[in-house]
Amino acid sequence: MLQLLQRLTSPPTQRLTTLQPTPSTVGFTVSTRPVPETLPALLQYYISILLRLITGVCAIAVLLLKWKPDITRNPLSAIFGLWVEQFVAAEVAGSLRWRYVVPAVAAVWYAILRRGYTEESILLLHGLGLQTSTSSSMYLRPATTRFIPTTSIQDIFIHEAFKGFEVRFYLAIVIKGEEDVVVVFPNLLPRREILEVVWRGARKCLYGGGTVVKVKQVEEEG
Amino acid sequence: MHYNIAMVSDFFFPQPGGIESHIYQLSSKLIDRGHKVIVITHAYAGRTGVRYLTNSLKVYHVPFFVVYRETTFPTVFSFFPIFRNIIIRERIEIVHGHGSLSSFCLEAILHARTMGLRTVFTDHSLFGFADAASILTNKLLKFILSDVDHVICVSHTSKENTVLRASLDPLMVSAIPNAVVAENFRPRSPNRESHHRSAPGPPPRLSPNDIITIVVLSRLFYNKGTDLLIAALPRILALHPNVRFIIAGSGPKAIDLEQTIERHVLQDRVTLLGPVRHDEVRDVMVQGHIYLHPSLTEAFGTVIVEAASCGLYVVCTRVGGIPEVLPTHMTEFAKPEEDDIVAATGRAIAALRAGKVRTELFHNQVKQMYSWQDIAQRTERVYDGISGVLSHDEFYQGASTGGWTATRGRAGVQSFALIERLKRYYGCGIWAGKLFCLCVIVDYLLYVFLEIFAPRSRIDLAKNWPKKILKETDVSKDGTGISRKRSSRRREKREDRTET
Repeated sequence: MLQLLQRLTSPPTQRLTTLQPTPSTVGFTVSTRPVPETLPALLQYYISILLRLITGVCAIAVLLLKWKPDITRNPLSAIFGLWVEQFVAAEVAGSLRWRYVVPAVAAVWYAILRRGYTEESILLLHGLGLQTSTSSSMYLRPATTRFIPTTSIQDIFIHEAFKGFEVRFYLAIVIKGEEDVVVVFPNLLPRREILEVVWRGARKCLYGGGTVVKVKQVEEEG
Repeated sequence: MHYNIAMVSDFFFPQPGGIESHIYQLSSKLIDRGHKVIVITHAYAGRTGVRYLTNSLKVYHVPFFVVYRETTFPTVFSFFPIFRNIIIRERIEIVHGHGSLSSFCLEAILHARTMGLRTVFTDHSLFGFADAASILTNKLLKFILSDVDHVICVSHTSKENTVLRASLDPLMVSAIPNAVVAENFRPRSPNRESHHRSAPGPPPRLSPNDIITIVVLSRLFYNKGTDLLIAALPRILALHPNVRFIIAGSGPKAIDLEQTIERHVLQDRVTLLGPVRHDEVRDVMVQGHIYLHPSLTEAFGTVIVEAASCGLYVVCTRVGGIPEVLPTHMTEFAKPEEDDIVAATGRAIAALRAGKVRTELFHNQVKQMYSWQDIAQRTERVYDGISGVLSHDEFYQGASTGGWTATRGRAGVQSFALIERLKRYYGCGIWAGKLFCLCVIVDYLLYVFLEIFAPRSRIDLAKNWPKKILKETDVSKDGTGISRKRSSRRREKREDRTET
């Protein structure tokens, strides 16, 4: 019972993926997206995509039928013409009103396009700078990104702050000429282990070989 | 033994004051002795979040609502979630609260007991028993201190007062005074001081026509005796023509003081400095010969120790813990009334003029009497006692023997069981006892709730600040070499653990 409660209230698990295509480029991505591994999980994943697609198409179809009840005679709609005509067409044309149809369809599409997870990443390019990005809450909308050139990066560090009823660790970048620091994973605020990996990697990539020794020292001190 | 200690109080830097510097000095000396200390206080303007001070002292400025004189609004339970989070992430073993007017501190002690931690409370002030506010504060204090492991008071008078107010067993209350950093309060010329270290020369005599300066340095509040000062000031100046006053500090009574000076046309003989920062106190002190402290109530009075350390002869009222603070040859006592203060100041001036007082020796004497190292050592002994490192007899010097011991029964050195705690709270009063029990039960339920919905596994542990490697020579000088060595071994062990 207690465990069930704990599992229900726990935040989604975060995983860190490191991508290093070239020695001077490294990307860290923290994501809450569940990765299906077992066969039932895989099946569930693909079925859910299929279901989303079908629901979306149905919603569009309802809208079309409401707009032009005689669209089923159109050759373009022959793809789903038959069964739609039988089950929905008559009722939609008759009973539903515009003021219900439009919000309902919009809601369905909102639900379909909503991203169930958050993905935040930092991409570091040696000698160039770094780019932070946060995925949007909807599919089809681009992620919020920010590029910071090396010349304006003053420091990158891990610190703690109050957030709600907690004290959380965060990875922050100090930028020349700006009052506030830039928090790297602002929505997910991953746990300390992840942050430390990212911090070490970022320092190594940004400041090159010179600070590798420094990083090692900190490790020993901890 | 080395502990992780959390000092909790509403009062901390950047606000100046006695409790604030007490917490800071004690913490930094405890860190020197190998403990880990954090300070939890509320957020001040421009000072929020987590900060590090010198000597790796970590300060949590919790964002909370401030009501009156830098005290937070007493919301009994809202502080618990964040407090628990800090305690868990810093792996705190002992919670040490300061100041009986600080709701932060009192709440922290209650929550810490609910979480099964050792608690110590330090009382820095004296209270009355008669007025409504005192009765309420005392009841609250009694509630919180019903279940605390040990109480520290800054003087024996303060101890007596606290024991009565909170109906405690005197055995579980220790008197550990404040101290001063003597290096920061040197008398005027350092070369004269070094000269005296080798051989005291002839005392510098003041001729009857030399001007004697009297320094008053306090916040100008009623309880600091500003009214007495206002009454006595014109009389002292009328009696002694070659006397000047320097008055520093601010507060609601400043206007009265200014009016008095204007009414008696004393502007050329009284200098008002206004508020003075703590690091400027010494510069003000050394301008004078006598320090006048007309306070009406004072638990300890650090400022008179500072004054004596600066080489000033002290005239003070015989109230609260003041008589314990300095030896009689450094002070001239007065009753807290106008006539006696005038008389005592007259005696002090006469003594100085006669060269009977060797003020230039005060600094070294104070230095020997008061040091924070000593205070930290004594506080550490309290920690040892409550966590069972020292045996019960050793800690209380065999004061209580037999099966049932007052201290254990009362303070519950072992028992954190809810039912035991409830028994202690129930004894607080007919209605209050039941109310307090209700509070404790709600607190406990909140704790259980938090354990489910914010489990410990979800809280990141904070890393300890890398410790300085102590030089062995320093260690042997302290005479605690053995314990230090043990500590370093333990530290290694702890490092191993964090690495794995």
